[in-house]
Amino acid sequence: MAAVEQAATRPLIEVKDVTKMFGPVVALTGVSMTVNASEVHCLLGDNGAGKSTLIKTLSGVYQPTEGQLFIDGEAVDFASPRHALDRGVATVFQDLAMIPLLSITRNFFMGREPAKRKGPFAFIDMKHADAITREEMKKIGIDIRDPQQAVGTLSGGERQCVAIARAVYFGAKVLILDEPTSALGVAQTSMVLKYVRQVRARGLGVIFITHNVRHAYAVGDRFTILNRGRTLGTFAKHETSLDNLQTMMAGDKELQDLTELEGTI
Amino acid sequence: MTDGVTSDKVAQSERILKQVHDERLRRQSRWRKLLQHPEFGALAGAALVFLFFGFTAGSSGMFAADGILNWSTVSAQLMIIASAAALLMIGGEFDLSVGSMIGFAGMMIAIPMVYFGWSPVASTAFAFAGALAIGFLNGWIVVKTRLPSFIVTLASLYILRGLTIALSILFSNRTIVSGVKEAAGDSIIPALFSGVAFRPLFVWFAKIGVVDQLADGNPAVQGVPAVILWALGLAFVSHVILTRTRVGNWIFASGGDANAARNVGVPVNRVKIALFMFTAFCATVYATEQVFEFGSAASDRGLLKEFEAIIAAVIGGCLLTGGYGSVVGACFGALIFGVVQMGILFTGVPNDWFRVFLGAMLLVAVLFNNMIRRRVTGER
Amino acid sequence: MKSGLVRKLLLGAALALPMLGGAAAAQAEETYIFVSHAPDSDSWWNVIKNALKDAAKDFGVKVEYRNPSTGDLADMARIIQQATAQKPAGIISTIADYSVLEGPIKDAIAKGIPVITVNSGTAEESKKLGALMHIGQPEYDAGKGAGERAKAAGVTKFLCINHYITNNASVERCQGYADGLGVKLGDQMLDSGMDPTDVYNRVKAYLTAHPDTDGILALGPNAADPTIKLLRDTNSAGKYKSFITFDLDGDISKAIKDGIVESAIDQQPYLQGYLPVAFLVKYVKYGIIPASNVNTGPGFVTKSNIALVEKYAGEYR
Repeated sequence: MAAVEQAATRPLIEVKDVTKMFGPVVALTGVSMTVNASEVHCLLGDNGAGKSTLIKTLSGVYQPTEGQLFIDGEAVDFASPRHALDRGVATVFQDLAMIPLLSITRNFFMGREPAKRKGPFAFIDMKHADAITREEMKKIGIDIRDPQQAVGTLSGGERQCVAIARAVYFGAKVLILDEPTSALGVAQTSMVLKYVRQVRARGLGVIFITHNVRHAYAVGDRFTILNRGRTLGTFAKHETSLDNLQTMMAGDKELQDLTELEGTI
Repeated sequence: MTDGVTSDKVAQSERILKQVHDERLRRQSRWRKLLQHPEFGALAGAALVFLFFGFTAGSSGMFAADGILNWSTVSAQLMIIASAAALLMIGGEFDLSVGSMIGFAGMMIAIPMVYFGWSPVASTAFAFAGALAIGFLNGWIVVKTRLPSFIVTLASLYILRGLTIALSILFSNRTIVSGVKEAAGDSIIPALFSGVAFRPLFVWFAKIGVVDQLADGNPAVQGVPAVILWALGLAFVSHVILTRTRVGNWIFASGGDANAARNVGVPVNRVKIALFMFTAFCATVYATEQVFEFGSAASDRGLLKEFEAIIAAVIGGCLLTGGYGSVVGACFGALIFGVVQMGILFTGVPNDWFRVFLGAMLLVAVLFNNMIRRRVTGER
Repeated sequence: MKSGLVRKLLLGAALALPMLGGAAAAQAEETYIFVSHAPDSDSWWNVIKNALKDAAKDFGVKVEYRNPSTGDLADMARIIQQATAQKPAGIISTIADYSVLEGPIKDAIAKGIPVITVNSGTAEESKKLGALMHIGQPEYDAGKGAGERAKAAGVTKFLCINHYITNNASVERCQGYADGLGVKLGDQMLDSGMDPTDVYNRVKAYLTAHPDTDGILALGPNAADPTIKLLRDTNSAGKYKSFITFDLDGDISKAIKDGIVESAIDQQPYLQGYLPVAFLVKYVKYGIIPASNVNTGPGFVTKSNIALVEKYAGEYR
């Protein structure tokens, strides 16, 4: 228990006073947040709040104009997504980096295929790769009969899970999920959320980006709310409530409309 | 009583119906699984084509030894460039300069040999080096400019064809550079590219009557032409690279979604450049074989072959949008193309009809593939 | 949907079968195969196709015309190999390039199929191949004849419009013309392409850039027709002392009557289609064949003898 506690308080990734400007446009100002191991940190915000700029900064697509990122307490500058990946920061973008026509196994191992030498030649160890894929998917509770079937035949939720499983398998310490539930139905959403919990249980830090407060509240440990490029603060689950988050996320102005619509959002 | 019998019968027939129904369902799913192989369409097409010509041209000599030699040589030639075109297409690019490359590579072999007195080995090596450089340039321009490869290689198509004509006129004042056979002498290169293999076997075949014997005692078919062995070899290598190696997975990934592939660390640019180089390499194999078989390079060699290669790849199940397809399928596509092209002559139908046939088959192949893709991806 | 497609495929095949089946059944009769080097787009060969039809009817045999669709001679070699495998009563082939066709034609002869060569190629090449005879028009000599006529007309600077640059015979014609005129062949040979609009514009550009040109040689109707139109459009026919073209068609014979084209070199293609079939049929039947080659050209069609030619231009002339 003590060990878990200790691990939980170690920040895996830390964002300090990050500002990002595109020419005259200020996308982020003085954003700070930390993500600990075994934590789901939800990043909430309406459209245009700066969520995607922040994740692209975290995943190495953009470099911050000001401020600094730290991994395990060490200052880092990501030159590329590949670089971030090497430091254990894996991002599952909305397009999932999946190729629908390719098999699950080929997608799972894309760019990192296990090779088996035969004399001077190196071949993909397809049996091994299939076995791992099947096993990893089974851990999530998705039983794929044929790992050679095309990713295109999977449901949206299943695809999302394959993308997450891939990141986890290849040693991600921090997993950034970009709107993983936005296009999914109820059953599929719950499948993905369940899996996010499972990933947390393995000691990974998860940054969960969404504008759906319900989904966030279902899995989140802490919540950071972004509004027009600034943070409105970070709250632990026990410090806040679903209503509270919803109100903050929308801003005071729309509060009235929100209370009317609450049931349906 | 009678009622009982009737209702029994009804129940029985219902049971039978159900059985039949179930059986069909199961067959459907197996059928579906078969359909998921990109080469299935071409395989079925090839079977259909053979069946067709078996009926219509069976007695014309099409399936005698020299008939088989004829259409298999034509198919093999196309197979050489179709394998490369398939890989490139799966990698998400086109090369329209394949045909021009064939013409130009032929000149790169013939001119140094005939006019500068180079050895066959040197001039062939020179041609391969030159072709790889041109392939590199094609690929490099495509990945650097991010222009559609269609446009970039269309430019190469004109440049190379123009150079081929200009150089042959410059050196020989003719559009054909002849005299390659004489210049080659007894070098190993002609044997390697345009010789025949397993000759003793065919002499024996002639003796036992499997193959016709000529008046001079030679067999009507001297052996397996080198081009067929080259085609099978290159197709095998391409197939293994595509399906069994990391590079193969990168080819699929680069063609399926270059951005996604880059995000997971696939060296997309290097893969694409390498594919363009491989295409140029295969075009040069084609050209070398032709130059040494016919003893000349000509400025019209390879005209429109780029389209034949692409057609073969498409018939073979490659998607024009990239990311999907198979080399085996492309080889069957080449076989279909070669068999139809030559077979239609055996039937005695005016060969004006060849294109009608080919066009119809292409359309069927594309419809078929489109349908398969929908099945695979589940899109409607 | 799937099974529907397969059904349609099979249906299509079933529908096509009787058509081809009929053709296959007809194969039992004596078959001769004519292999040309011309691409599909070359309309001049229509006269030969007509001649082949006539010969087939007259002699009660089957004659098939085959050509490489792009004009690629390597493809033509394959077609000859195919024809050989079919074991026809005889093969008629052009010698577009000796080195390319040497193997396939010699092969056919070795397998006991009589071969007559026509059109492109020389009598010597034909003999070297072991063909029975050659029926055609010596290209270089025909070009030279045209050059000599042009010289007589006072031409000093000429343009040779080559619509088929990749065929060597056409280069020979230009070379012959230049030699007949007594000048060196340089940039006077224009690669005009086959498309009429291309030919028109390229010739126009060349003539504008080289205003001192006073002689024109067109290597065939594909090159001549657009050029005739150009001269009519610009009303500049009078500028050129000699406009000679190879071969004939409707436009050319009209232009000859109008005085735009001085003469057309007629190689009388009908004979190149009809005669080889006639000779082969008799050779197969009785073993007789003329002892010498047949030159079907060059004949020059001018204003004075155009009347008869015109009636059948593009069909039999």
